[in-house]
Amino acid sequence: MYINMFLYIISCIFVLLSHSAMLLNVYFNGSAESAANVIILAVAVLGLDFAYFIIMLMFRQRSYAIDFLLILILNMSVIFQSCFGGVHLSVKHYITCIVSLAACKAGFLICKNPKWLQMQKKYIYLAIGILIVAILTLTGSRSMWINIGSISIQPSEFIKPLFVLACATYVAEQQKKRKVLWFYVVYENFALYGLTAVICLLQWWCRDLGSLPTFVGIFVCGFFLRICYPKAKFSKKTLITAGVILLIVALIALRFAPDYVQERLHTDIWNDKTGSGYQQSHALIAIADGGWFGKGPGNGTLCNIFAHENDIVFATISEEWGLLFTLMVMLAILIMLAVPLINPPRSYYHSTMSAGVCAYFIMQMSLNIFGSCNMIPFTGVTIPLISAGGSSMVTSGFMVGMLIAAQSPEFRQSALRQKRNTPVRRQTA
Amino acid sequence: MDFFTDTSSIFLCAVSAAALDLCVLVLILIAYNEKKHAQQYWNRISGCMELSAPDVSYPLNCGEILIGRHASADIRLPDLSVSRYHAILTVSDGIWTITDIGSKSGIFVNGTLVTERILRENDVINLGNKRLIFRRRRNNNVH
Amino acid sequence: MKSIKRSQYIISLFIIVFIAGMTALVIKIRTEADFYMMNSDEQVLGMVYDRNGGVLFDGTGKGQYEDNFFVDVGNLIGDNKGQMTNTLVAQNLKRLNNYSFSSGTVDDGKAAIYTTLDHNANRAVYNAYGFQKGCAVAYNYKTGEILVCTSLPSIDVTKGYDGIEYFESGTLISKNMYRTVPGSTQKVSTVISALEIMGADRLFSKVYNCSAHYTNLNGDVIDCHNWSGHGDQNIQQALENSCNPFFAQLIENDEDLPLEDIIKQYKKMGYAVNEDEDEYIDIDGIQCEKASTTLMDSHEFRTQWGCIGQGDTMVSPIQLMMWQSAIANGTGKMTMPHLIDHVTDVDGDITETAETEFSKQIFSADTANTVRQMLLTNGANHYVYSISGYTVGLKSGTAQVDEGAKENSLLVGFVDDPNKPVAFCILIEDKNSGYLTTEQVAKIMLDSINLQ
Repeated sequence: MYINMFLYIISCIFVLLSHSAMLLNVYFNGSAESAANVIILAVAVLGLDFAYFIIMLMFRQRSYAIDFLLILILNMSVIFQSCFGGVHLSVKHYITCIVSLAACKAGFLICKNPKWLQMQKKYIYLAIGILIVAILTLTGSRSMWINIGSISIQPSEFIKPLFVLACATYVAEQQKKRKVLWFYVVYENFALYGLTAVICLLQWWCRDLGSLPTFVGIFVCGFFLRICYPKAKFSKKTLITAGVILLIVALIALRFAPDYVQERLHTDIWNDKTGSGYQQSHALIAIADGGWFGKGPGNGTLCNIFAHENDIVFATISEEWGLLFTLMVMLAILIMLAVPLINPPRSYYHSTMSAGVCAYFIMQMSLNIFGSCNMIPFTGVTIPLISAGGSSMVTSGFMVGMLIAAQSPEFRQSALRQKRNTPVRRQTA
Repeated sequence: MDFFTDTSSIFLCAVSAAALDLCVLVLILIAYNEKKHAQQYWNRISGCMELSAPDVSYPLNCGEILIGRHASADIRLPDLSVSRYHAILTVSDGIWTITDIGSKSGIFVNGTLVTERILRENDVINLGNKRLIFRRRRNNNVH
Repeated sequence: MKSIKRSQYIISLFIIVFIAGMTALVIKIRTEADFYMMNSDEQVLGMVYDRNGGVLFDGTGKGQYEDNFFVDVGNLIGDNKGQMTNTLVAQNLKRLNNYSFSSGTVDDGKAAIYTTLDHNANRAVYNAYGFQKGCAVAYNYKTGEILVCTSLPSIDVTKGYDGIEYFESGTLISKNMYRTVPGSTQKVSTVISALEIMGADRLFSKVYNCSAHYTNLNGDVIDCHNWSGHGDQNIQQALENSCNPFFAQLIENDEDLPLEDIIKQYKKMGYAVNEDEDEYIDIDGIQCEKASTTLMDSHEFRTQWGCIGQGDTMVSPIQLMMWQSAIANGTGKMTMPHLIDHVTDVDGDITETAETEFSKQIFSADTANTVRQMLLTNGANHYVYSISGYTVGLKSGTAQVDEGAKENSLLVGFVDDPNKPVAFCILIEDKNSGYLTTEQVAKIMLDSINLQ
């Protein structure tokens, strides 16, 4: 049960208030064909709010701030997605949001005990292995989608949280050096480097280059935490060397990138408005058209463009709700990521995990937003929690669960203690 | 009429943005408030322990604490007799354990050489020439 | 603890970098929004007005105008359909767009371009041409305001582009902006060069004989348009007679006039000589071609003709007119022409106001005054009756095009009147196809221009 019922109610009220304000905006400014559509949307959103407020209390947590932020952002995305091309509840996105909330709670339960999770590392590696095999065998020829009936799953999304966990394990295990011949080595290092290489090759192979920077971002995050941790202090030389190496690798990668990537890098979108610059140019026009205050929910024109609900969702929202509001939403996501700064995690495992989650969110958001606005090459990645897309929503929900776990950690170690401490006791007795 | 719809649309948009901002602000404040609870919870787990040397005391604020001579160690003991990475303290349910992580001079708890051992209040730990006392924190109000 | 701090640093770093990126993005969008909207399919354009407040272009497409109301400036003002790109509207869509980032697209916004053109004068000149083709441009050489800029054939943009494949060539461009053969008007440039190089006294002392033909050292024959020849002439007479052999001899034989110096002076005046890269004069976004010529060897037929006004020499009417401004001002500095007087934004606030700009010195003030006097003398001697009521400095020209099959008639000049400081250039294509003369057009143009 929550410690302070008063604060809980205050938070609930404010979340409901901001959703209601948005719904009012939809009702008065929107292009709803009938009020019924708005009412259905309102009932769905506010109902989900209430349901989650109650479910939230069933979990023993020290901190609920991220939970509130999560439901705030998720239901905003439901409202956004429901307004594209006319106001009507986007049932598909609504369901993925519920699944995402469930994934969040699952993530919390799995990750709340760092010691326990650290011991389960072989399952993490196993799961990544299974997913890689699944990508290699089940996806169509060199693509990133598995089609089951009408549902398409992007398995590489699911690797991301596991990869964050692998990074966290790797940092937390740094003390466990084993002597092999004359060298002290940490097995985890080899495991993680190997894993990173395999994943990068895999992304390259299945042409999912949008996800590649995210993985690299998470890895760099973990790697910095490691090289800063047991070996040397935060040495500038190391950092600069690592940065230079990364830059060189990136440049080489770009040099030898496949043709379709090269094409994306060297496209002047305004000269190719109907070809490869189609989405970006329309996205930018839409943002400019929306201005600060937007055209009103449901009045956008971008909903006729391919991938308006995920790849260029920033522009779609910006057109309908205004750039100002869209920036606020991004700010809310940033605040959610910044909660570990306010309330620090209590173990290396959790702190690395938080940093990894942050890296995931920021990388995805940057790639999406800056890509769709033509500041960097356009890759089809999603904004976590905002873009439509089942795999991405579930993954990001799980990641938020990991953040929550880092806020409300558990330090039980019963299994571990029995195994390790018995001989010690005998020795010291 | 045009003017009215124009202003109302901007007004409603501003209201939504303001409500969102307000909500985020409140949640930030809540997060700060929860920090206190998290600290209390942590005190319960860690048992309000600290390591104290004669002149300085080190609070135990996280689940793993690295002790050594190196600058990146959580508790830095600048003495050549202490290995760069000497020992690590871990906590579980209020019980602190000290573990040797490949030190040269070893860990002595109450005079006994150990590689891993559960600490009790007022245990005296010797790392090389350095001597630390594991004890309850004097001032509980300090976070 | 330190490791946890480090992870917090990394989180902060990520967030700060992202915020920096977002700031850059917002600034980028804020500054480039106008440009994005230019590419939008749903533009709401404003109006283009003439100097008296008359409409030249209606971006809303709602106004009712009489037939061919805009035809005189159709290919100068243009529209946003994409068929004519080197036009005022096409190059200034951003200024004309009824859009601002805070208020978005406004259907009844007040974005407008107020031009310096005089619609009545344009129409009068346009109508004067009748069935003949050509172009005419005139501007105030004190302020740079373009008053008349019409080009025939032209189109009324309100009628659309149906049957575009049957349009006459040159319909969709304002010929004033494009190079044409200058004919004898080129002699003004040669006189300027000669004055710059040897000075007035020595130039006026030169006398050459014209016997209707002149055979140069290479054996090529340069004909004079006067079949019986002009006899001995000085430079003033040669200019008035427009005598080709005189100028050919001046170029070929005069030791005071080395070709390198002529090339140097030509370049100073803006010619792209020989292999020079082509440049453009920018008139409120509209690109106007600069002059070009080939001058290789003073004994060469082509080089001599180049200084007389045929050969490879090409000049745009606008540039011919600009040189007249440098002469008329008596300073040797050209007045840079402009079309836009001021621009209003979507709220009706004036955002830009034109200012008079001058080029750098292209020849000395002494030269300017000498040439000015020569042209005024020419005007007084030959054009008092045809352009009555104005003190004008003039030089006419006849240019052979299509390898001699057609002759274009040109007239450049200026009015020496502080109340009507107008410099102009008039071109009538294929002058033998009708009875229109450049003097008639000039008279009509000057009569219809109202600077008050």
